[in-house]
Amino acid sequence: MSSIDDMPTGQRRIKVERRLNPNASWTLAMYLIATLFGLGLTALLIWTSGADVLKAFITLFDGAFGSQKAWIASLAKATPLILTGLATIVAFRAQVWSIGQEGQVYSGAMGAYLACLVFADLPVGIYLSLIILSGMIAGAGLGIIAAILKTRFGVNEIISTVMMNYLIVFLLSYLIGGGPWTEVSSSVVYQQSAQIPDAAQLPYLFGTAKLHIAFVFALIAAVFCYVVLEKTPLGYEIRAMGFNPVALAHRGTNIGRTMIIVMAISGAIAGLAGVSEIFGTSHRVRVDTLYGFGFTGIIIGMIGGLRPLGAVIAGILFGGLETGALYMKLLAKVPAAIVPAMEGILLLTFLIAGVAARYKIVRVNTND
Amino acid sequence: MSPLLKCVELTKRFPGVVANDRVTFDLMLGEVHCLFGENGAGKSTLSSCLFGYYQPEGGHIECDGSPVKFNSPRDAIAVGIGMVHQHFVLVADFTVLENIVVGTHAKGWKLDLKSARARVDALCQQYDINLDLDAYVRDLAVGQQQWVEILKALYLDARILILDEPTAVLTPDESERLFHIIDQMCQRHISIILISHKMSEVMQADRVTVLRKGAVVGTVEIADATPDMLTKMMVGRDVALRVSRTNTADQGDVKKPVLEVRNVSYVAASGKSALTDITLTIHSGEILGLAGVSGNGQKELFEVLSGILVPDAGEITLDGATVTGMQSRDYMQRGVGLIPDDRFREGLIPEFSVQENMILGWQRDDAYTSGPFLSAAKIKENGGAMIDAFQIKVPSGATPVNHLSGGNAQKVILAREFSQSSTLLLANQPTRGLDLGVIEYVYSQIIAKRDQGYAVLLASEELEDLLNISDRIVVMSDGKIVGIVNAQDSSVPEIGQLMTGAQAA
Amino acid sequence: MTELFSEAILISIFAGTVRIMTPILFAAIGELVTQRAGIWNMGVEGTMLMGSFTAYFVATSTGSIWLAVLAAVMSGVMMGLVTAFMTVTMRVDHFISGLGINLLVAGLTLYWFRIYIAGRAQPTFDGFNSVAIPGLSQIPYLGPILFDQRLLTYLAFAAVPMIWFLLYRTRWGLELRCLGENPKALDIKGLSVVRRQYMAVLIGSAMTGLGGGFLMLGFSDRFLADITAGRGWLAIVAIIAGNWMPRGVLAAVFVFALLESIGTHVQVLGLNMPHQIFLAMPYLASILLLMGLRRKTNQPVKLGIPYFR
Repeated sequence: MSSIDDMPTGQRRIKVERRLNPNASWTLAMYLIATLFGLGLTALLIWTSGADVLKAFITLFDGAFGSQKAWIASLAKATPLILTGLATIVAFRAQVWSIGQEGQVYSGAMGAYLACLVFADLPVGIYLSLIILSGMIAGAGLGIIAAILKTRFGVNEIISTVMMNYLIVFLLSYLIGGGPWTEVSSSVVYQQSAQIPDAAQLPYLFGTAKLHIAFVFALIAAVFCYVVLEKTPLGYEIRAMGFNPVALAHRGTNIGRTMIIVMAISGAIAGLAGVSEIFGTSHRVRVDTLYGFGFTGIIIGMIGGLRPLGAVIAGILFGGLETGALYMKLLAKVPAAIVPAMEGILLLTFLIAGVAARYKIVRVNTND
Repeated sequence: MSPLLKCVELTKRFPGVVANDRVTFDLMLGEVHCLFGENGAGKSTLSSCLFGYYQPEGGHIECDGSPVKFNSPRDAIAVGIGMVHQHFVLVADFTVLENIVVGTHAKGWKLDLKSARARVDALCQQYDINLDLDAYVRDLAVGQQQWVEILKALYLDARILILDEPTAVLTPDESERLFHIIDQMCQRHISIILISHKMSEVMQADRVTVLRKGAVVGTVEIADATPDMLTKMMVGRDVALRVSRTNTADQGDVKKPVLEVRNVSYVAASGKSALTDITLTIHSGEILGLAGVSGNGQKELFEVLSGILVPDAGEITLDGATVTGMQSRDYMQRGVGLIPDDRFREGLIPEFSVQENMILGWQRDDAYTSGPFLSAAKIKENGGAMIDAFQIKVPSGATPVNHLSGGNAQKVILAREFSQSSTLLLANQPTRGLDLGVIEYVYSQIIAKRDQGYAVLLASEELEDLLNISDRIVVMSDGKIVGIVNAQDSSVPEIGQLMTGAQAA
Repeated sequence: MTELFSEAILISIFAGTVRIMTPILFAAIGELVTQRAGIWNMGVEGTMLMGSFTAYFVATSTGSIWLAVLAAVMSGVMMGLVTAFMTVTMRVDHFISGLGINLLVAGLTLYWFRIYIAGRAQPTFDGFNSVAIPGLSQIPYLGPILFDQRLLTYLAFAAVPMIWFLLYRTRWGLELRCLGENPKALDIKGLSVVRRQYMAVLIGSAMTGLGGGFLMLGFSDRFLADITAGRGWLAIVAIIAGNWMPRGVLAAVFVFALLESIGTHVQVLGLNMPHQIFLAMPYLASILLLMGLRRKTNQPVKLGIPYFR
């Protein structure tokens, strides 16, 4: 309705006005500019470290998608990211600002590991199913706690989930760092659990020794999220809650109940990411291998436009970046930490693009 | 004699609409000049341009005969223009004095309330305004908050005062007092621009400029004007200003009570008692009007009667069944429809499409689902039917509701609530902010529902409308019922007295 | 456990509390100014981290810790500019932009850190030492606790009444509080909401950066990737628990710092308990604190809501 900027240039003024109707090509242009700007800033960062920028980018993308082997590694890395991205989307679409994906990943890994210990003698199919289910339940549990804290006690969900992230990590570091799950071998104490039994390992796809069925789970979860959000009454309520919880509550929907369901789904999917990492990739529980999936998932969800398909694409992209980063580190001598920095930059530029897409530049004649 | 303030060919555009179209308007020293027009005619926009809040794209403004440019309200305030807004711009957690002082340019960094207090006290003396300067605004009645707004402008030495719909939230008594003060101001050589859509107020001014769809229709001296003439100028055709008296459908002598409320009380989270001991009955085929200035518990009453709030005491019976303590979901399923007063915030999901909004609250109903999924076909069909039945002007059912005008958005709510309800209709300010044409339509639809046998609770700030349409009228003040009258036998002064009588008590 | 209650240990615990309070207090009081102006800066953690890293970088490359302090403040101002641009100018949702900043800073500082120490032993610096106030520091019990601290600690505590005065006794403070409650009231008088909100954010972020700087310079001699460890979040919780008033914030920060101090001492004393329990205390306490809040909230009405005309 009003102008953000008013820069009089003589008789001609440039005004920035809010758009009435979203324009697809303008929106695309904004996001393209955001991507280029983000890449540009990243290039600047690489350049200031003294490395060869062009070589850095080439090795980065080569290591990500340059060969079949690279693709497989990227998709494997993408799996937990897609899942945490989906978890973010389910919550954020309802305007529930859960930052708990990180903790739910850990919680899922822990729940699954517990099942792995408890149900060790069962036939493989049931064993694996229970492990996966336990992981999802553990993740969902953490989410439900945050939802209850919000609906019953009015505790801001950002703060409660951030705090619980720390608490869960402390719990895990105790369990595997001196506690009952610690691996001890010939008087050396490691900060990790013992290796999971072979029967608990998630089967690999296509005979690769890297890409496991959790990737399929991630895709299924994406379809699930899409269908629920767009095609079911629950999805209607989630989306409505994200836009206008007041009107939704006035017309008969129990917001508290909906929030609990949202956080349960979000937590379960994030927990699945933890299962994927432990039982598909690293095969033992450590704090550092699980670190960061949750936070990156937030970025992926946002960059993916809070759409399940977007999360899949962004997840694969980011999985590629993280795979390529190792290659880049080796060949172009750029610290792998450029990737989280780049992810953060892209998030901010995309956020700005999202706002800019809603405005347009207009030239206005003023007669003075 | 040259005008004090003047605008020439003033044009103001917003995305998609020309709010002011080459408006020429002037204000003489010591006069009360009314800006008259329907909602959306451009009255508020014009005044905001005169106040420097908006910058016009075309035309110019002259003050004391020479052209001026207001880049911000600071420039307008500097030449002595003050504005009292329709929707108050106050800080609830500040005191009256702090509200008046904040943002005014005193010298230095220190917060000097002492000298400010002296000045405000003097002003209050001058105009016989009775306010506790250390009271928190959140504790003040709406009418008193109005005084704070006025004092804010006077404190800045306004010699031109723009009053935007000042009596919208005042009781008839308070309105009278306000006009008394306006008189006093004129005697002190303060010139007034009065924005109003109420004929009774227009006729008290010296001159009136009628706006329609952003353009000036004409400027006349009140001495030469008649209400009919002004209405015609405002709307562009001959039309009765308000809905005329209708007769209750004849249902015989025995009317079945649909809603019975007994001794209902509700205490808000802040501890304030919003509703005290409410007892009323609404019968089928009856419109019960709810009169009272906003802020006296009407909103809470509507929310209690629709299940959004649960009362702390008392009983509610619907069609003979006790529903006290039930949630909005249950009320909806028992046939209660609600038209909220804040349509975009409480009745619609603005980003959702028209057809999606049509099923808000009914998204799990068999009528709109197939199996566990939403049925796009059923939703679309329902949307189309509603759009036709209620003549909603919209490109398609998939259009987002936030693209609709206030009137069309209200029609969406009407369509939904009318078709989903079956016994009781709760309408809270259903015509607020709408054009005359849409207002007529809304009232006619509500009357039609009454004739079908619905019980209707209708709240409106336009007392004439209530008197014309309701069968009985209940008057609320400060969370209590202060009177129930028969509409046919009552009048605006009587209701006004009931409202203020309680306040005086 | 009873070892905890010996006199020397108790004094050490409380003295440690005062020191631990310093960075969180800077951040919390700074963020209080920002929040009272209506901006919910969720990026406190990131701003603090940036301050810590900047302090480390400058301290180890120039050798001057006071220069490092200045740099930390400047980095806070830079972060404040980004924050203000996102929230005030672009009107991005406050929560999301803050989270984005946290993630960005986490990535950036790690990256710069890795480049900085590439191929060599991690450089260290000499941090702040305590400056005992003559006379006052001799008072039994209170002396060593309150008056034998680093200079910046004294500053942090002085900042509390200073900010109180700013908010409640100056013209500017009234306008700032007005921003958080109803910015339109200022806009309607032609006063720039944008400019004032920028100022509030810059001040808040500068103080947070300073807090981050002290976290680095007053506690250790080298940088770690997650040195802030959630203290920025604790600052935010302190504001909520303190009901947006300076003295309440002070009290809440005290509670968090006390718990952390107890936890450190327990670890050092080698008591037979998993040390994670004490590490977890502040975070658990914040959740419990927030659960227990039932009183009338002083939360600025328009906090977190971007201002549109």
